[in-house]
Amino acid sequence: MIKLTNINKYYRQGDHRFHVLHDINLSVDQGELVAIIGESGSGKSTLINIIGFLDDDFSGTYFYEDHPIHDYTRKQFSHLQNQNVGFVFQNFKLIREATVAENVALPLLYTGKRRREIGDRVTAVLDQVGLHGYEDQLPQNMSGGQQQRVSIARAIVGHPHFLIADEPTGALDTETSQEIMNLFKRLNRDEGTTIIMVTHDPHVAAQCERVVKIIDGRVVSDSLEVHHADK
Amino acid sequence: MRISELLRTALRSLRANKKRSFLTIIGIMIGIAAVITILGIGDGITQTMYDKFGNNAKQGQQTTEIYYMPDNENSTVSGFNQQDMANIDNQFGGEIRRVRIEHETANINTRADLGDVSKNVTVSLLRAAPTDVKLVAGHRLTANEMATGQAVAMMKSSLARHQYGTAQNALGTTVTVGATTYQIVGVYQDQAEYSMDGGQNKFGASFLLPKDLYYQGDTASSGNTIKLTFDQGSNAGQISKQVAKYLKKNGSAANQGSYQYEDMEKELKQFSSQMSIITKFISFIAAISLFIAGIGVMNMMYISVSERTQEIGIRLAVGATPFNIMMQFLVEAVALTVTGGLLGFLGGAGLAHLIAPLLSSSIGGGIHIHAHITMTAFLMAFGTSAAVGLIFGILPARQAANKNLIDILR
Ligand SMILES: Nc1ncnc2c1ncn2[C@@H]1O[C@H](COP(=O)(O)OP(=O)(O)OP(=O)(O)O)[C@@H](O)[C@H]1O
Ligand SMILES: [Mg+2]
Repeated sequence: MIKLTNINKYYRQGDHRFHVLHDINLSVDQGELVAIIGESGSGKSTLINIIGFLDDDFSGTYFYEDHPIHDYTRKQFSHLQNQNVGFVFQNFKLIREATVAENVALPLLYTGKRRREIGDRVTAVLDQVGLHGYEDQLPQNMSGGQQQRVSIARAIVGHPHFLIADEPTGALDTETSQEIMNLFKRLNRDEGTTIIMVTHDPHVAAQCERVVKIIDGRVVSDSLEVHHADK
Repeated sequence: MRISELLRTALRSLRANKKRSFLTIIGIMIGIAAVITILGIGDGITQTMYDKFGNNAKQGQQTTEIYYMPDNENSTVSGFNQQDMANIDNQFGGEIRRVRIEHETANINTRADLGDVSKNVTVSLLRAAPTDVKLVAGHRLTANEMATGQAVAMMKSSLARHQYGTAQNALGTTVTVGATTYQIVGVYQDQAEYSMDGGQNKFGASFLLPKDLYYQGDTASSGNTIKLTFDQGSNAGQISKQVAKYLKKNGSAANQGSYQYEDMEKELKQFSSQMSIITKFISFIAAISLFIAGIGVMNMMYISVSERTQEIGIRLAVGATPFNIMMQFLVEAVALTVTGGLLGFLGGAGLAHLIAPLLSSSIGGGIHIHAHITMTAFLMAFGTSAAVGLIFGILPARQAANKNLIDILR
């Protein structure tokens, strides 16, 4: 489903370029649950932003299904991104002034749906993440774990093909982390949603069927390939 | 995203910053209100004038007047007699519905002899018993007295007291106006020469006389003013001009004075063109105030964009296109200025309605000015304020749209 070949990424810092990603080759199939681990500053966020169609400034080739993402304009991106990816961030990134229901509805509104067409879907998705009846709450009055559930509900409301999560449990305690992790595993198992998550937490990584390790912008190990090598 | 959603989002964020939003639109309110006020009054004046004097008066028919001015001011010659009427009727009968000699009836300035004292006074002429005066002494002129042509008159009380000491003493005295000597049979309380609404009040005169006696013989069948009545839709100004030209050649008193037709409509046009100069001036001032207000809007939108960087990032990350983001902020700016424009419109309309009566009473002369708020004025307020929002909102909105998502999300 996702096929990255020889991806290189530079950040411009003043007049010199900073080489963040070195020749990344990575393929992810439908239905996988992938953890990306690595030290701080190794380029994990940079990588998944590219995978999630948020960043189009890279060299190399990226095929998403049959789409040559490396050739697409930002406009085509937005469309793909809206239809195919759901994002979950470490600090939740909810709109503070909007209610839970409005936050969750946002991706659907940007596909051009009417407000009254989507009420049922929003309720269903909130039920799915265990937030039944929280529609009219404001995010700022909720706990971190609850806010992350809202953010997950928002990520899956449009039936995306895959989820990108950047340290989704980074701001949560161990117990709450486990609840969120269980939610991800259930989504992956029951709905077949592909999930790619960045994490620092070894417990979280241990629960993922595939772990990709990055050091200084290079993929240094991939548990999938280890499996292949074993066979 | 749907327009309704954009509007909802815009209104919510404006409501979240009520005070700031309100302060930002004050300038727009003032600018629009100033223009609407001056337009409302200007259109009102123009409309009133046309209604009252224009050849296209609303009464269903049009009337014009032609005056005669004798060369010698003291001459008693009359400009129009029955022969002139017949001639006009012959010449212009097809185009003019009616022509008749106009006789003044209210507050005519004239000389009068009270016994052996000669004074300048005003007289008003009656055809029916005056019920609207308050009697001080004697009796009101009766219908019977007027029908039988008795030379009787009423005098106002201040003049009676001044001349004869008391109102009672004035009864039975005489006053001579023109060739007729009238006997005073009643004294009435003084009234103002103008009524409350600024019109002439005929009971403000010093004397009330029966009309049929005042205009009799030659004076009844001749005069210095004629009134022409036209059917709706005919070119009253043009025909009146031709009548005046005809009279200059063939009028009965053409060699002793001149016949004049004053085209009120022409003067009105001149007046309204002066009004439009004032309107232009005020509009210019308002444009400056709108420009400054627009910069205020731009400033507020820039602040709003930078405050809501996170929100922009979130929206971009869940599938908003940069165009969506631009529209969101543009709609917000336009919603802001249009709100200001509509409030300014209401304020201006209210102000115009307050000022118009004040203006009427300061002009006087029976002129009623009603503020006239037109649909055009409304559309102008709406359009201008929307344009201010668009023009001054576009730069901040584009800045919002061009934010780099990756930088925001870090
Ligand atoms: N927009 C940017 N401009 C310049 N340098 C950047 C930018 N974003 C990231 N970097 C740099 O690129 C490197 C990789 O950053 P990235 O955020 O991908 O790391 P990370 O692996 O996600 O780290 P962490 O675990 O702390 O989140 C870092 O050294 C960072 O300073
Ligand atoms: Mg990171």
